[in-house]
Amino acid sequence: MNKDIDIKKLRLNCYRQSKEVGKFMLQMRVPGGFIDAKYLSIVQHIAQTYGDGNFHFGTRQTFNITGIPYENIPEVNKYLEQYIEEVETCLCDVNMNTIAGEEAYWEPQSGYPTIGARNITACIGNYHCICGNINTFELARKIESIIFPSHYHIKINISGCPNDCNKAHMCDFGIIGVARMEYHPERCIACGACVKACEKGATRVLSLNENLGRIEKDACCCVGCGECVRACPTSAWTRQETPFYRVIIGGRTGRQTPRAGKMFLNWATEDVILNTLKNWQKFSAYVMDNKPEYLHGGHLIDRAGYKKFKEIILDGVKLNPECLVAENIFWDETEYRSNFNVKPINLHK
Amino acid sequence: MGYKFNFADADRLFCNIFDKYDIYAPKKFPKQGRYSDTDIIKYAKINSINEIEFHIKSDYSAKEVLNPINETLFYFIENEFRESSAPKKPILLFARPCDINAIEIQSKIFEENGEFSDIYFTRIKNNLKFVLMDCNGGDDTCFCVSMNSNFTDNWAIAIKQLENEYLLSIKDSEFTSDFENCEQTDFSPEFVQQNTLSVNIKEIPNKEVLNKLKEHPFWLEYDKRCISCGSCTVSCPTCTCFTTRDIIYSENPKVGERKRVYASCQIEGFDQMAGQKEIRNKASERMRYKVLHKYHDYKERFKTKHMCVGCGRCIHRCPEAISIVSTLEKMNNAIDEILNKDIQE
Repeated sequence: MNKDIDIKKLRLNCYRQSKEVGKFMLQMRVPGGFIDAKYLSIVQHIAQTYGDGNFHFGTRQTFNITGIPYENIPEVNKYLEQYIEEVETCLCDVNMNTIAGEEAYWEPQSGYPTIGARNITACIGNYHCICGNINTFELARKIESIIFPSHYHIKINISGCPNDCNKAHMCDFGIIGVARMEYHPERCIACGACVKACEKGATRVLSLNENLGRIEKDACCCVGCGECVRACPTSAWTRQETPFYRVIIGGRTGRQTPRAGKMFLNWATEDVILNTLKNWQKFSAYVMDNKPEYLHGGHLIDRAGYKKFKEIILDGVKLNPECLVAENIFWDETEYRSNFNVKPINLHK
Repeated sequence: MGYKFNFADADRLFCNIFDKYDIYAPKKFPKQGRYSDTDIIKYAKINSINEIEFHIKSDYSAKEVLNPINETLFYFIENEFRESSAPKKPILLFARPCDINAIEIQSKIFEENGEFSDIYFTRIKNNLKFVLMDCNGGDDTCFCVSMNSNFTDNWAIAIKQLENEYLLSIKDSEFTSDFENCEQTDFSPEFVQQNTLSVNIKEIPNKEVLNKLKEHPFWLEYDKRCISCGSCTVSCPTCTCFTTRDIIYSENPKVGERKRVYASCQIEGFDQMAGQKEIRNKASERMRYKVLHKYHDYKERFKTKHMCVGCGRCIHRCPEAISIVSTLEKMNNAIDEILNKDIQE
């Protein structure tokens, strides 16, 4: 088959190359993986009109439509205008006429301007879940306008609670909703339900002091899941009104060095999260000398070193008093190629 | 005859009452619910009439004012002890008819069960007046009409909150002068005549049927469903069970206090005896005990209404979505089944 297609340009446009030359898979962004069900008819229309009629739940919660012939892409892009306008501009307040915060004209009928910052994924969070501490997709929508459009690659996963169903531990910048608890001893009947819940489902930080008829807590190791609140029959445990967040950085899959991320911030407020992410472009630009590469965030942290990352990413960020920041990070990787870090000097970047 | 006044005037009109009384009422505590971003409504001492949550049923009942979850009975030092002090001021308690009727049931247990009256309960109750809150029938867990607790005349003031104003009716002449300059209007409290939920509880005719009912397999469902957390009894306005607990100050065991603390027949260990033996080891047995106590034994003993006012809080608070009304319907079916079998035999 004689085709002359700029594959890389199409990838930037969120069309993925397929095994069959000339066929592509569209990835539509769904920030936080949560959206009005009416958009499913748009997905259906694209799949049935321009694609092969099939659909895949993207691993990053995008709507993926397979088997789109190269020739159909301009039409699909025109059709996408409304979806992008409604989801990115209206719902997430994204300025589509920028790239990494710099002004850049975007033709509304040309489809997505970049694939760089990947779709932000989220669990259903407290919109539905009895364990969730935060509204995950509302946070995702706030973050979308900070990281998108940008050619710099960052994967953000948001989980509503420390159970981390959405694998904040396996992406560049994982965000976990946590709660700080308040104990109201005047309501405590010392039934021990919280102690059992913490033992079974969390970090065993609670114990019952029989002499005082009160619960004691090793606050240091509390993960902020809220299981004690859920277990308490008298509301002796409640969550503080302000939601808090834990940030896990540098997690990844991959052929060479998959690894779970490590804690960077704990008990951060939403402002801290958003302001930290506002430094993401600056950090990426610093590491890659302003030339975006197909290299995601965790590798950038490796290149810069954690200390440099911390310095740039927290620049100007006013931390809330409760917020803790990792002094150091000791990565623990699975190396599929022994000594793969040992290589000729000309391969060092 | 009644009065009406604006929200803005409420605290000024109540100012003398605030001076004389501690006012307790249902109040919303934002985001303190069991699940995140949900609120809790519980009784609290209020400093403004406008703090009161008038329209949504409280998660926890008014009983907490008379019978707190934790209450110090006395303090001890070596061989001496001193009783805890009674509240300094009388109490004005805002409550709906269900909660007012429930306090009367509490009183049966604390004051009429056995040979003496519980002074800790009585000293509050005798110094308390009710403000009847208008109730529009509650929510879909309410069944007060079925339990005959939709009406009460045990109130000093009746109040209804409208969009911008309050309507008030006064029965207790002590409060008349506070409102005499208010605009007059026709207002007297109305009582709910119908709930969306209802239940008709079958009588258990004799001991033989009762014993068969205890053995009926329908209870076993609760072994799988009930997690024995006690949320139902804590929120129940009629439950009175408590345990006592000695609190020892610091390292000196001769100084401390004796408290009473809510106990729940649904929580494991409630009936544990000195030899560690427990009578009801299973959730189904504990559920059976609660249901039969509330809807048979209490009435049998006191020859009065059942020990339930149909406020529906146990349904509302149950984290496993167990409905007492459905349980009662299942119990009705079981009674029918036992009676029909008896006829056939």
